[in-house]
Amino acid sequence: MQTHEQTTAASSNTSSLVIEQLTLKRQQQLLLSLNETIVGGDILTIMGPSGSGKSTLLNWLTGMLPKGFSATGNLYLNGQLITDTASHMRRIGLLYQDPLLFPHLTVAGNISFAMPAGAKAQRQADISQALSQVGLAGLEHRSPQSLSGGQQARVALLRVLLSQPKAILLDEPFSKLDSQLRQETRQLVFEQIRQHKLPAIMVTHDQSDAEAAQGKIISLF
Amino acid sequence: MITAKSGFNTLVRSSPYLMMALLVLPVMGGLIAVVLPAFGWFPVLGHTQFNVSGFVDLWHTPGIGYMALLSVSTSFISTLLAFVITILILGSYFTSPWLGYIQRLLGPILVIPHAAAAIAIGFLITPSGMFSRLVSPWLSGWDSPPDWLFPHDAMGLSIILGLTLKELPFLLLMALGVLAQPELGHTLRAQHRVALSLGYCPMTAFFKVVLPSLYPFLRLPILAVLAYASASVEIPLILGPNSPPTLAVAIMQWFHDVDLSLRIKASAGAIVQIALTLLLLLGWWLAEKLINKLSQSMLVNGKREYAGAIMQNITHVMTLVMLTIIGLALLGMVLWSFAGFWAYPDLLSQTFVGQHWQSALQQMHTPLLDTVLIGVCATGLAIVLTLLTLESEQQTSKATSRLTSVIIYLPLLIPSIAFLFGLVWVLEQVNSHHTFINVVLAHLLFVLPYVFLSLASSYRRLDPRFSHVAASLGASQAKIFWQIKLPMLLAPIFIAAALGLAISFSQYLPTLLAGGGRINTITTEAVTLANGASRRTSAVYALVQMLLPALGFLLAWALPKMLLTHRD
Amino acid sequence: MKHIVAALALGVSVYACLWTSVAYAQTNELGAWEEIEARGVNQDVYFHAWGGDPQINRYIQWVAEQVKQQYQITLHHVKLTDTGEAVSRVLAEKSASNHHNGKVDLVWINGENFAAMAKHQLLAPNWVAQLPHFALTDPDNNPAMSRDFGVPTQGMEAPWGKAALTFYYDSLLTQTPPQTLQQLSLWAKQHPGRFSYPKPPDFLAMSFLKYALIALNNSQPDAIKNRLYQPANAQSQALLLPPLWQYLDDLHPNLWRKGQHFMSSGLALRRLMGDGELALAFTFSAAEVPAAVARFDLPDSTRSYRMRDGSLSNIHFVAIPYNAAHTNSAKLVVNFLLSPKAQAKKQQANVWGDTSVIALSQLPAKQQKWFEPPALSHPSANIANQDSSPALSEPHPSWTKVIATQWLQRYGVMR
Repeated sequence: MQTHEQTTAASSNTSSLVIEQLTLKRQQQLLLSLNETIVGGDILTIMGPSGSGKSTLLNWLTGMLPKGFSATGNLYLNGQLITDTASHMRRIGLLYQDPLLFPHLTVAGNISFAMPAGAKAQRQADISQALSQVGLAGLEHRSPQSLSGGQQARVALLRVLLSQPKAILLDEPFSKLDSQLRQETRQLVFEQIRQHKLPAIMVTHDQSDAEAAQGKIISLF
Repeated sequence: MITAKSGFNTLVRSSPYLMMALLVLPVMGGLIAVVLPAFGWFPVLGHTQFNVSGFVDLWHTPGIGYMALLSVSTSFISTLLAFVITILILGSYFTSPWLGYIQRLLGPILVIPHAAAAIAIGFLITPSGMFSRLVSPWLSGWDSPPDWLFPHDAMGLSIILGLTLKELPFLLLMALGVLAQPELGHTLRAQHRVALSLGYCPMTAFFKVVLPSLYPFLRLPILAVLAYASASVEIPLILGPNSPPTLAVAIMQWFHDVDLSLRIKASAGAIVQIALTLLLLLGWWLAEKLINKLSQSMLVNGKREYAGAIMQNITHVMTLVMLTIIGLALLGMVLWSFAGFWAYPDLLSQTFVGQHWQSALQQMHTPLLDTVLIGVCATGLAIVLTLLTLESEQQTSKATSRLTSVIIYLPLLIPSIAFLFGLVWVLEQVNSHHTFINVVLAHLLFVLPYVFLSLASSYRRLDPRFSHVAASLGASQAKIFWQIKLPMLLAPIFIAAALGLAISFSQYLPTLLAGGGRINTITTEAVTLANGASRRTSAVYALVQMLLPALGFLLAWALPKMLLTHRD
Repeated sequence: MKHIVAALALGVSVYACLWTSVAYAQTNELGAWEEIEARGVNQDVYFHAWGGDPQINRYIQWVAEQVKQQYQITLHHVKLTDTGEAVSRVLAEKSASNHHNGKVDLVWINGENFAAMAKHQLLAPNWVAQLPHFALTDPDNNPAMSRDFGVPTQGMEAPWGKAALTFYYDSLLTQTPPQTLQQLSLWAKQHPGRFSYPKPPDFLAMSFLKYALIALNNSQPDAIKNRLYQPANAQSQALLLPPLWQYLDDLHPNLWRKGQHFMSSGLALRRLMGDGELALAFTFSAAEVPAAVARFDLPDSTRSYRMRDGSLSNIHFVAIPYNAAHTNSAKLVVNFLLSPKAQAKKQQANVWGDTSVIALSQLPAKQQKWFEPPALSHPSANIANQDSSPALSEPHPSWTKVIATQWLQRYGVMR
């Protein structure tokens, strides 16, 4: 029940992700410092070469900071302090460059896995509708391995969106797709983010991704 | 890859067949030599008519049903427990550094031979053991050992404890081995993170996302463990009841009985044992299918949390209890091996003396030397055969067929008690009187599968581009094998060798039977002494049994480092 | 058909062997021994002997050193957990038609193992009289030397030592151990859980049961009592066995683990004594008791004694399988085992403490002195009642199987 209330909050206009006075350190060495507010529907792009702390930032945002790293600062999601909340309680969705679909579940199973618990029939209807929206109608019972790269990427996107996250993180999400597919998928993802009014952070080293996001760009060196 | 004809290549191409023959012939020959007497054909006693009197005798043996039940229940429960604890530990510590610590703590247990582990656990739970001493007399009020039922309890709880503690590290390390595969491990961990980001609690995420992909890699090890447990002899012999014992122990006793006609019944029992083991494997497989079917809807019902915190706490406690048991058992063994007279309920012996080690070591050198020699020969053979077979697989670009993989596992899946007695008879038939060679060949049956398993993945994972580059530079297959592949695989080869040695060191039945008692190893001596008169001597032998494989692994860890630094 | 021919051939060859060896022994005994010595030197001998006692193992090691010096024979001690293993090995060889190259050259044996091997013709016959040292046992005046549990040995095995059932107890736990079988039952009631015996068919278990059988039937008329020394049949079983089962039914609830579990190995009794779980136990090699005290395996307060109503006594032997690869060398070893030097050493309590089979009257006074016990030893080396406890001879070996089978039916499977 609680999930439902949060969902409505997430889709209202007030949604925001606030990074307050963050400093990230490896051992004792400063990696980056950041102070940002991302409003729902906006996409903050972080650019930089590997080793600049991009993935460490994502790890901090999801509460999966590995050993050897330390952080100060706070993270607020929709006004709620979640700096020390466990990873799985944060409700921040993650989209990687690999679709990482679960091989033991069907396409529908992968999405259904992500959805909040509820009536089976309703869930199935939601899945079918979502699939047809992204041009994958009728693929419910296929195994993920039988899909093309672009199709897998779209299922992965649906999986995140239907989990009803309050914010979304994109970790080089399009780097494994060829340029034609890349543009299409990018467009679809950004559209959906804006439609759902989710605050989003994208990590990339591709200039065209950054431009397409139409948001603030921070470059790390 | 197209290869030229050469002596090396011929050797490589023929090695898979040699390996198959060395595995299949003894097992099949042994089985036939047990099937014939089981159906009444035993010419020495003048039985040359086929009949089922052996099975009738078996049926009329008092307690036969209980024996079978004990074999089935102890092996099934212990395997299930070991599996459940393995996945609970994995689920609870999947993202925690504790997984590594637990792996390091449990790893050494893997190489402790079953007999030594059984002796150590026996010392712990016996009425005058460490447990009872720890609580006496201040808590229990016992001034003399209580007349309680462990070990040798009729329900086989002691056997279950022993088997579980021995199987658990094996399954856990197998699972961690799968997770250590770079691509697969990385994907599984990433998928786990995805599930966390979708709001799944870590435990549920593990069960719903990681386990379904991990389990297929664990199936064969689990079945091997189950098959082994159902027909093992050492642990039930040392910890189990004897009125009646498990079926495997009873079969062994019938085979050794003075009354020679009992061998017909023993052979019939061996057939029943195979049937029981197959039934267990089938049962496990069916249970797996059933659970898979029933859990499908649960996987996607979207429920994020199933009392994960409670389960995690239970796992913490269980892990702690297990590590305590293992620690206390080992401590107890060390104390006994140095103990002067140790009156109950003193927690420590009044005096500590070195004479048990001294006198045991004086008597031990021949068995010690034999143990090492047999181990080195069997392991050396296994490594050579495995490397050549894997090389042949790469040269012919044909992956090992399904049949071949099953054959490699054959000696692990068929109860050894069933075919080893036949094997002795077969060795007699071919007039093989070279006891040492017989024992090495018998050990090879059990060493080879593990060495193959341990080496195959590293060999197959070796980047083929290295060979391609070398070949384009004009190197022959033999040169690539010797100068590129072997040096690159030095560390895994040493680890496989250490594993092979550990397996060889721990063999009891194969040594006893193929050696005809002429060859004593530390393990056969330890089992003989386990039921004997002196806890102190027994402790010394069990400790030596543990130290030997540990030494092997230490060498396997240190030698490649030394060799590699030497090269700089 | 092929098998019948093979069996016939086997029968003929065994018969021929028998005949030639008999003839051989009769014609030229001394000359024959020299020939055996000439042929037997410088070979290996595989001695299959129970290996559960470190003292005995050490003694056999000493024997190996001696025969190495004397004959360049390399003696390998094949340590058995159960002599039955050697029996089944020889049988397996016979089944594989291995009639000349057997792996067992010499086996330590007696009682039903001997009976089984003799029944299946697995032993070389009529060689014992060839041994020069066999005469020292004075076989003409000592018929026991050529009878194993009442069964004539027919020269298939040579006597090696004598033993009697000896009890021992922890004098801190009980000051007055039972002196007779009837007292044992009462003692167990007063000390529940502190006595046990191993599970049949363990050798020590059978010895205890046979002692009980003899003691319980002691008051029967001689005609009935003597049936114990003849093959068991339905009638004699009905006459002699009921008192035993009655006694055991009464005793078991007061045993260790309430008689629900019996240790598989007789040796375990000593471990349980050391652990303090038992207060009373028994053994066939009395010398192991002080030796175990010295090794801390038994408490310092351990004492030994024999039962007043008799001690089961028997002789143990060594035999050569019919297909032994090194028969002549094995004979040289056996002859050494029977030498005054080897027998005297074996009788020393700190070596093995096994009573010699040599009739001391056959030895010169100087050699007789070798057999005298040393002055200093642990109190448990002095066995109380040693002279007042009558020796009970072993019943016919057929009783062993009868008792073991019926015991297993009654108590072998828990209800």
